[in-house]
Amino acid sequence: MAVHTQLLVRRYLTTRIIPLIAVAAVALCTALVIIVVSVMSGFLENLRNSGRTLMGDVVLSRPVQGIPWYGELVRDLEALPGAQAASPLVDTYGLVRMPYPDGPSKDVVTAQVWAIDPESFARVTDFDRTIWWKPAASREDALAMGEDDPRRSIGDGPLNEARAMRDLATGRPGALLGMHVSVANQRQRDGSYRPRVANWWMPRHEVSVTLVPISERGTVSQSNSRTFKVVNEVMSGVFQVDRNRVFIPLKDGQELLRLDEAPVVDTDAEPDADGNYPVVGTSPARATQVLVRARPGTTADELKEQVEKAYEQFWLRASADPARRTKPPAPESVSIMTWNERLRDLIGPVEKERQMMMILFSITGLVCAGLILAIFWAIVAEKTRDIGILRATGAGRGGVMAIFLRYGLAIGVAGALIGTGLAWAVVRNINDIHHALGERAPTWAWAGTFLLAAFAAAGAVRALVRASALGTLLWSVGALALAGVGAGLMLHQGFLMWDPAVYYFATIPSTMDWAAARVIGAGAVVCSVLGAAVPAARAADIDPVRALRYE
Amino acid sequence: MPLLEAEDVHRTYRLGRTEVPVLKGASIGVRPGEWVAILGSSGSGKSTLLHLLGGLDRPDAGAVRFRGESISRFSPRRLDRYRNEHVGFVFQFYHLLPELNVLENTMIPAMVGVGRLEWLRRRGEIRERARALLDRFGLSHRVRHRPAELSGGERQRVAIARALMHRPDVLMADEPTGNLDAKTGEAILETLAEQHRAGLTIVMVTHDQWIAARADRIVHLVDGRVA
Repeated sequence: MAVHTQLLVRRYLTTRIIPLIAVAAVALCTALVIIVVSVMSGFLENLRNSGRTLMGDVVLSRPVQGIPWYGELVRDLEALPGAQAASPLVDTYGLVRMPYPDGPSKDVVTAQVWAIDPESFARVTDFDRTIWWKPAASREDALAMGEDDPRRSIGDGPLNEARAMRDLATGRPGALLGMHVSVANQRQRDGSYRPRVANWWMPRHEVSVTLVPISERGTVSQSNSRTFKVVNEVMSGVFQVDRNRVFIPLKDGQELLRLDEAPVVDTDAEPDADGNYPVVGTSPARATQVLVRARPGTTADELKEQVEKAYEQFWLRASADPARRTKPPAPESVSIMTWNERLRDLIGPVEKERQMMMILFSITGLVCAGLILAIFWAIVAEKTRDIGILRATGAGRGGVMAIFLRYGLAIGVAGALIGTGLAWAVVRNINDIHHALGERAPTWAWAGTFLLAAFAAAGAVRALVRASALGTLLWSVGALALAGVGAGLMLHQGFLMWDPAVYYFATIPSTMDWAAARVIGAGAVVCSVLGAAVPAARAADIDPVRALRYE
Repeated sequence: MPLLEAEDVHRTYRLGRTEVPVLKGASIGVRPGEWVAILGSSGSGKSTLLHLLGGLDRPDAGAVRFRGESISRFSPRRLDRYRNEHVGFVFQFYHLLPELNVLENTMIPAMVGVGRLEWLRRRGEIRERARALLDRFGLSHRVRHRPAELSGGERQRVAIARALMHRPDVLMADEPTGNLDAKTGEAILETLAEQHRAGLTIVMVTHDQWIAARADRIVHLVDGRVA
């Protein structure tokens, strides 16, 4: 490529204002698309991660009636080459009577109750990480905590009780509540929590959990209630979980739902003198779900295949055992899904939405192309004589076209790079920006803006006195814009854009999707070159004789 | 044998539906080292003839030959090379590139003619040639200035330096003093005369007979034909 092309492109870029406007337009379009796609990608990634961290990789599920002999099944599953750990649980819905307000009448909330074995549950999920009230794990974590954060002063007691799910002083069963199940906690700007009122730190209190057993025939039995000490609270980051979930010990859940081990009596036989029917066997305890975690290097789909085979073997073995009166459900009655499949209804639409957003916002690329085309059309008209000079000195039509194509490329590359940097800055700080929007603007912000507007107005008056139409226009527009911004800041009361209750997560995802950013940046460059292509071809077609007559 | 000649060339311009015949069978020959002035009134076709001789345009009929070879049959790429290597143009309105400084404007023909690798190899030599030309024309103190910062005479001297950058066989000058005052114009003509004395072949277009008188030979162009 001839040297003059590079020199002219460099000069055109650095000696005129219009290319800067074009670069700014490309940068803004690029930043807009990257920000939207990054937030949606982060949302998708959070969803995927939440699925895996909350429920392991594969879930066996048989609601209500549950799976008997689950202990044996767990051992079979943990022996699989692709499995790292397995954990049984009972999941149901119940009522939780809170300890507030003061007085005889207390708040009652509905909750999703998970009765778990905390030790195995922690091996399958990130349960330990989600336990909130615990001392800082490192000096850095301790320094990051606010001075009034209760975690600064608590010892290991709440953490140990959470891991045991028991009041270690009295031996009574303990419950863990999702952070937002109670209204006692207030979220701080840094993402931590404080009790709204000092006395209402939940781990000091008790809750009563009421569950309704349902028989194998589908009939509803008398409800059962039990009081649990709140040993801790959990914060998974998934709002729907933190708002609705309550953890209690597995044994207590089984007892409340009548899924625990119980003697089987023959009601057709004659009762004894005490009126008791003869015991003919034992009904094993049941779990409604078994969660399985994959070993590193094994995918959830690979593990699912192994689990399906293992369950079939377990069922065949247990069904063939004449000593077992209770048989496990047939494989077709047990749902075996990966975490991805469990969340398919949620993940699928979000994936589609992300793709749609990327396509729709990529239309801004066409806007860039159109803007570049319009700008370059004007530049080519202005440079007609220059084109004639270049042709007179021996530049070919290809060389002339290359100048403007390269010019468009330079604008696209500059705009894409700046836009990517801008997007990174916004995405990285998006939660701080969101917090700032949620608060009233400080006085200095709107007062300072009004002051700048006053300076701009003075500039407009000075330009008017000097009879400068352009100066008057620019300063006036600047003054009006600043006054508008100042008024907006003054009236701004703060608004909540990201409502965790709607958007599933407590914070806006703040990780750049670099893979998407590369594609979007490349797209911006291509659009810029395409926008420059038509004017470039027009420049190449200019008759040098007519161009040199152009004055 | 003439260095450059046009034989019975015709050129008609089309403006919309209107056809304007400008040259109607003009013939001219230029010998090596000769200074030829093409004299004619406005609209006589003298600039058009210059453009045909310089390879900026092609005749509708007839032929233009350089060293006996018809440039009218050259491919576009070969014609571009002909203009770059054998011809230098000087225009009435200087036609300097406003974003480039004096040195860069002078080097443009060399930049156009070489690829990147050759530029890396020869850029020192090219810069030296450009500086030497500018020094010869009294512009060594203006190399970093932009055309807007120069006087009319200085700009025209830069244009002449640019035209001579590649040591062309022929210098084509279209009304070189048309936009200058008499004194400055005279200085430019003296510059051209100096180059002519050094052996440069010049074809100059003018409507002024006093300027044309500086040339070795005057060719009168009347109504698209050589009189």
